[in-house]
Amino acid sequence: MKIVPFLLIFTSLVTFVTGQLLFKRAMEGSHASGFGKEFLKFFLPGIASMTVSFFLTLGLLQRFDLSFVYPFQGFSVIIISATAAFLLKEKLSFQLLLGAVLISLGVVLVSLS
Amino acid sequence: MDPAFASATSDSSSAAERFLKFFGNPWLQIALNAIVVTASELFLKLGARATAHLNGSFAWTGITGLASRWTWLGIVFVILSLVSWLYVLRRVPLSVAFPLSNVVHVLVPVTSWIFLNELISPRRWLGIALVLIGLIIVAKPFARIEEKL
Repeated sequence: MKIVPFLLIFTSLVTFVTGQLLFKRAMEGSHASGFGKEFLKFFLPGIASMTVSFFLTLGLLQRFDLSFVYPFQGFSVIIISATAAFLLKEKLSFQLLLGAVLISLGVVLVSLS
Repeated sequence: MDPAFASATSDSSSAAERFLKFFGNPWLQIALNAIVVTASELFLKLGARATAHLNGSFAWTGITGLASRWTWLGIVFVILSLVSWLYVLRRVPLSVAFPLSNVVHVLVPVTSWIFLNELISPRRWLGIALVLIGLIIVAKPFARIEEKL
């Protein structure tokens, strides 16, 4: 088993999650202070992170089947809900967590075959 | 300002406002976003397939995908989906919006089944069912809040 594809998948996941958190943080700031410096401070790194994730995923799709690349992305649901609760102080109910776990499992099953 | 003119413009702007209020509903935007994402993923897959044979020192980065017009169309849809996604994030917590955005993983196989006659294995049906149950569990408390408003 080669390690490089898994490193690429891991990096594409981390940059994707980071980008989502930065976008959310940027939009929260936009309520109070519009789309100025405070917004760009989080939005631009978010765009950069998402761009890295985008091209890594495109590269993986050139080499591997969707059924290999996508099951890993299923875990982004649970990772994003957990990190949003932890880092952005969003409320995480048991119900939300249960739903997120079911969606994660479902996405893995959908993309496996 | 002429009062008649003022009331006429406020009438037309209230219709526009009503449309914007409907169109700007974050839950509708989550659904529209899922459709745009589904289209972008289809285009990107076509782009990746068309350029899979290209080799080069930076091929592993996926940059060679830009040689296909499908990839560029996919990028346009990705940008569209980003705008509607940011709009959603302005109003809905990320821990709720992101799980809901995964309705894409139901839409893609089901539309491929209906329009492209692709088969869906029993395992994939099970996955689709799990995603749907998860979506309902996540969305239900918020649907209740919306009703109260």
